[in-house]
Amino acid sequence: MEIEKNKLDPRTKLTLVLCISSLSVIIQNINILTGILVISIIISNLLGANIYSVIKKIKGLVKIFIAIIIIQSLFINYGEAIIQINGYKILTDVGLIKGLEFIFRMAIIIVSATIITTSSSREIVQGLIQLKIKYEIAFMVSVGIRFLPILTQEIKDSIKAIQLRGIEINKLSIKKRIEIYSYIFMPVVAGSIIKAQNLSTAMETRAFRAYDKRSSFNELKLNNIDYLIIIGSFLFTILILALYLK
Amino acid sequence: MMYPIEIKNLYYRHKGKDINLLKDINFKVNTKEILAIVGLSGCGKSTLCYCLSGVIPHVYKGSFNGEVLINGKKTTNMKLSNISTRVGIVFQNPDMQLFMPTVEDEIAFGPENLCLSKERISKRIDYALEKVGMKKHRYSNPNNLSGGEKQLIALASVLSLKPRVIIFDETMAQIDDKGKKRIKSVIKGLKEEGKSVIMVEHDLENLDIADRVLHLHDGKLKKFSGKL
Repeated sequence: MEIEKNKLDPRTKLTLVLCISSLSVIIQNINILTGILVISIIISNLLGANIYSVIKKIKGLVKIFIAIIIIQSLFINYGEAIIQINGYKILTDVGLIKGLEFIFRMAIIIVSATIITTSSSREIVQGLIQLKIKYEIAFMVSVGIRFLPILTQEIKDSIKAIQLRGIEINKLSIKKRIEIYSYIFMPVVAGSIIKAQNLSTAMETRAFRAYDKRSSFNELKLNNIDYLIIIGSFLFTILILALYLK
Repeated sequence: MMYPIEIKNLYYRHKGKDINLLKDINFKVNTKEILAIVGLSGCGKSTLCYCLSGVIPHVYKGSFNGEVLINGKKTTNMKLSNISTRVGIVFQNPDMQLFMPTVEDEIAFGPENLCLSKERISKRIDYALEKVGMKKHRYSNPNNLSGGEKQLIALASVLSLKPRVIIFDETMAQIDDKGKKRIKSVIKGLKEEGKSVIMVEHDLENLDIADRVLHLHDGKLKKFSGKL
C-alpha cells in the first residue's frame, strides 16, 4: 500500500524546509528575506498548512521578538538616528533593519516548519527511515512530537492547580513568578520521564528493536512531482545564493 | 507437561529496596484458561505482570530470583522481542501504549518490528481488528477514540504479534461499564480461540469471566477467599 498518491512525499517537504530555512539563515538582505517569506507563506498555504493557528500559538512570543529588535538596535550605533537622547543614538535605521531581518528570519523558519505539519508523524518517520536515518532516531523524533502537546497540557494543568489555590500568577513580580514556575518544572519533568519510560516499555513489549532493520507497511514512493519540486528547490536555492553572493 | 506460562519460586525486589515485593510466587496457566490475580493497590500486581512479560529483568533491573517459563523456556534466556511474540501485555493506561497517528499504523508497529512482509502485516491487521471488533476504526486517530476503544486498539496491537499468552494489567480500571463489557467479551473470545489469559484486577466485579482467581497479598499468592 502506498500513501495517497496525490499528496507530496514528506521527503519533498523536508527538502523545501531545508532550502527555505538555509536561505533565511545565510541571506542578510531584508528585501530578499521578504521575498523568501512571501514564497514560504504561499507554499505553506498551497500545501494546506494552518499558518494562522501557528501564529496564534506563538503570539505570546511577540513581546520577546520586539525586545530582541530593541536590544539589537541599541547595540548598532551606525546609520541614521531615528531616536536620539542627548546625542546618543538609541535607535538607528540600520538597527531597525537588522531587527526586522531577525523577525523575518524567525517568521520564515516558523512558516516553513508548518509545511512539515501537513504530513503525519508516521509519514515523517517513514520519510526519515527511507532517507537512511536509523529507525530508532526517527521514532524518537516521532514520539517527541507526539508528547509535546501532552507536556504543554501538563504545564497548563499545573499552573491552573496553583491558581486554584488562590495564587494569581499574573499579579506576581517576575522574581516570584520564576520561583513558582520552578515548582511546576520539577514535577512536570519527573512526570514526563516516567511517561517516556512507560512508553518505551510498551514499545519494547511490542518487539521494538527486535532486529537492526524493520519492514514498513506504508512505504513512501517519490512521484514525478516530488522529483520536480526537489530539483527545483535546490536549483532555486543555488540561484538565489549565487545572485546574493555575487 | 509444558504450560504456556509458568512461574517457579519467584522473588523480586526493586533496586535500592530492602524488602522483596514478590515472595515465592508459584503458578501455571493452562491453554484456554483465564486466570485472575487480585490484590490491593501497591501489592505488586504490576510488578508481577512485568515479570511475566519479561520486562523484568530485561528492562527494569532489580533482584530477580526464580524462574518464569514460557513454553518451558526461561525468560532470562530469551530476548524481550522473542518474549513479545509469545506473551503480550496490555497496560492500564492506553495513552501510554498508543503513539501512532492511525489505528492501522499502531497495529502494524509490532509486525513491522518482526520484519514481516506487507502481505503478512496486512493479514495480521485484519485479524487483530476483527478480533476486537474495531474494523471501522482502521484509519482513525487513536487519540479520538473512547477509553474502552483505545484499550481495544492496544489489545489489537498486541494481538498482531500473535502471542499465546495475554496479560491484562488492570486494563479496565479507567473504562466505563459499556467498555468493560466489550473488553470482557473480547477476552472470552480469546480464551475460546485457545489463548491463555492472565488478568490482574483490583475491581472484583470484573472477575466473572475468570476460571480461577488468586490473591496477591503481602507479596505472596494464595487462593482468593472472596475478600481483598
